[in-house]
Amino acid sequence: MEKADSKSRILVEMKQVTKAYASRKKLFTGSSPQVLALNSIDLSIAKGEVFGLVGQSGSGKTTTGRLLVRLESPTAGEIFFNKTPISQLKGSGLKTYRSRVQMIFQDPYQSLNPHLSIAETVLEPLIVQKIGTPDTRTEKVVHTLDTVGLSPGEAFFNRYPHQLSGGQRQRVAIARAIVLEPQFIVADEPTSMLDATIAIQLFQLLEQIKETFGMTVLFITHNLAAARYMCDRIAVIHDGHIVEVNTADNIIRHPEHPYTKQLIKVQPGFKYTR
Amino acid sequence: MQNKYFWWRFYKGWRIFIENPLGKTGVIILSVFMIMAMASFFVPLIDPMYDPMTGIDPDIKLSTGPGLTHWLGTDNVGRDILAQLLEGAKVAFIVGLSSAFFSIVIGTLIGMIAGYTGGIIDAALMRFADIIMVLPSLVILLILASLFGQFNIWIIVFIIAILRWPAVSRVIRSQTLSLKHRPFIEASRVAGASHVRIVLRHIMPNVLPLAFLYMTFRVTSAILVEASLSFLGFGDPSQVSWGMMLQWVWKSGHMFQAPYWLIPPGLCISLLTLAFYMLGRAMDEVLDPRLRKEGQTG
Amino acid sequence: MSLLSVDHLSIGYQTKKGMLKAVDNIRFDLEKGQSLGFVGESGCGKTTIGMALMGLLPENAVILGGHIRFQGEDLASLTETQWQTVRGAKIAMIFQAAMNALNPVMPVNEQIKEAIITHQPDISKTDLADRMKELFDLVDIPARRMKDYPHEYSGGMKQRAIIAMALACDPALIIADEPTTALDVIVQDQILREIKKVQEATRTGLVFISHDIAVVASVCERICVMYAGQIVETGTRKEVFKSPRHPYTRTLLNSYLSLDNLNDIRVPDMKESPDQMIDTDECRFAGSCAYAKGCAGRSPDWIDISPTHKAFCCNPDMIRRGHGKS
Repeated sequence: MEKADSKSRILVEMKQVTKAYASRKKLFTGSSPQVLALNSIDLSIAKGEVFGLVGQSGSGKTTTGRLLVRLESPTAGEIFFNKTPISQLKGSGLKTYRSRVQMIFQDPYQSLNPHLSIAETVLEPLIVQKIGTPDTRTEKVVHTLDTVGLSPGEAFFNRYPHQLSGGQRQRVAIARAIVLEPQFIVADEPTSMLDATIAIQLFQLLEQIKETFGMTVLFITHNLAAARYMCDRIAVIHDGHIVEVNTADNIIRHPEHPYTKQLIKVQPGFKYTR
Repeated sequence: MQNKYFWWRFYKGWRIFIENPLGKTGVIILSVFMIMAMASFFVPLIDPMYDPMTGIDPDIKLSTGPGLTHWLGTDNVGRDILAQLLEGAKVAFIVGLSSAFFSIVIGTLIGMIAGYTGGIIDAALMRFADIIMVLPSLVILLILASLFGQFNIWIIVFIIAILRWPAVSRVIRSQTLSLKHRPFIEASRVAGASHVRIVLRHIMPNVLPLAFLYMTFRVTSAILVEASLSFLGFGDPSQVSWGMMLQWVWKSGHMFQAPYWLIPPGLCISLLTLAFYMLGRAMDEVLDPRLRKEGQTG
Repeated sequence: MSLLSVDHLSIGYQTKKGMLKAVDNIRFDLEKGQSLGFVGESGCGKTTIGMALMGLLPENAVILGGHIRFQGEDLASLTETQWQTVRGAKIAMIFQAAMNALNPVMPVNEQIKEAIITHQPDISKTDLADRMKELFDLVDIPARRMKDYPHEYSGGMKQRAIIAMALACDPALIIADEPTTALDVIVQDQILREIKKVQEATRTGLVFISHDIAVVASVCERICVMYAGQIVETGTRKEVFKSPRHPYTRTLLNSYLSLDNLNDIRVPDMKESPDQMIDTDECRFAGSCAYAKGCAGRSPDWIDISPTHKAFCCNPDMIRRGHGKS
């Protein structure tokens, strides 16, 4: 298990990051109040770590993930990747960054373009990043599909998303995210739309991938039990504030913040039957 | 297009479409008109007197009713009405389809650009579209025609297209807006894809069905505009069309004397526009309900 | 006589490829004041059962056979007009994300009043007021919030208002289909407690449907585990969760992540879900079952473990032996 104790091994760092959205203008006062999705948060993730971000809907956990892959830019504060600030990146700098950081989205039914075959979907990152030749790309895609458990990869090549189950679609989305062999993956509730038996298999897959490629993972979830199962460290986020960060075991065994305590208390389990 | 999903959806859509009574009727009427348009190429080959524009029956000096040599009768200079009707079908297809095609190409491009870029470009393009949308196309065409004389049929087609794209672009824009933040588009952005690639590769295939739906409605309106223009005497004088036939009936004072001359072009205009309208309604059923709702707001 | 008695119920969906059997030969009974949970994964037929109990099956659904007897009446043969006197009055329903069903331009109390008056047109004004107060007390919405509009309520309060509306006509049976799925865990916890409390206080029958086994475990006394249209195991909460016998139930329990079972997690090797187009007597879980040896060609049967605990399997020895919770 990796620990974040060594400063030199920090991969991702957020310093006092704030993200505000303008909400709709009030009719009479004319002012447009801001909604703070993130309120000056600090976070550091070590290389090779699986870091969990746990919170309820509207807590700012998804915004954090989107900031890290640069789908959004922070209103204030700075994000560092390998000690380089990334929130102002443009053009080729941004493109290079994007080859290192990838995201897995929540809804496998929305995250694949229905008009593209599986091969086209997984090829796209290689094409836009101009990696390899057409032949090596194809080979890479087959190999990646095998890695995510869609084997033989060739059999899935010319299939379309509508021909796959939810779990298979999410495997394709994982293949698309790892085909560039990024250093960092943001997984935003990758299993919340899937059945428990499918979800647990995907968790196992993510763990294998992390081991094989030595990737760092930010695992965003509302499910504390899933975070504990997957993660080395967990941060609990509430109303745009990170209320507590600790190792996964400690946060469950010795929660300090009242919100964490409440989350643990209401987590569904089989306590009623025992 | 080697896009298998597109064809799969096309096939499924076609099944729903053809099982729909409106779609079925539309397709049948349309096939009849298509056969008519095809036939227009062959009729003058039978005898030069069946040429819709220049073929004059030497034995006839006045407009005569239906008979054996002229199944629907002749006009006042002895030209065959059926031949003109067939030629009119061809012209209606050319005018309707090409004008509709141009307007959806313009409308789809502008709609996708406006929806995808957003901000000031979006606002500018949409205000421009609003201005064009409120212009009455027939009046504009009449003014232009009276200023510059009678137009060639292709210029008419083009002007109709230019005046008719805004409605298409509004619909495509709202569809693009709803696609823009879909995770598969964001995934492509995260992979580093350029804006051009995202628009062409991810957004366009998803808005094309809607564009085709709007094309059928544009066909209807283009045919009607051309017919009105010709009837009012501002059409292309070198080209027979149904509107032109009506203009000739009126001009030669046969409105109430020659129903065999007046009714066929009028009926054809109504039936063909109706057929395209039915086609559009049936396609509407095919597209998913969510698209349908957004389509109506445009 | 049972409140609800479902007997050999089969429901199919007419599709282009043929008949898809969504619910296959289901039987269960529910007594007054009892709660019964259906748990299973997407496509197992649990929602179809809920819709059949409310007479809300989609148009391409066909009841292929069996009976749904509710207070002695066969619901499977009711016409839509007859349904209107049952639905809402005798059988009420709480859906997933039902809070969106509240009318945004009408105060909450008016909407609940309307629900009462629709089914009891001649209720007196004082009775109506008493009933309203009783309902809001029951679901813990303070009286001063009664006249608020839905947008002034939080998500949890809206869902409680929906529960109050479901209870408005004093139904004999409540169907709850994934009532907390769209809610945050903290609100979910409150609503589950609310449903349980209300059900116990009113002695209403409850059919509770969810994909989440822990949620079902927290509300229901008896559980039916469903797989591919069939009930594969049924028993009391304690029997099913403490000593699961059917291999599928064990798979489900072993893959469920909760804070108290992390060490028991086993990653299952689930194959494609079975083709429900094919009408077969053979076990549908055999393809993914870790214990399926020599099951091929045999038909599963109900095996009694206790008077209340049964499992549907080809392998009676394994089922009777039990494996504890593993």
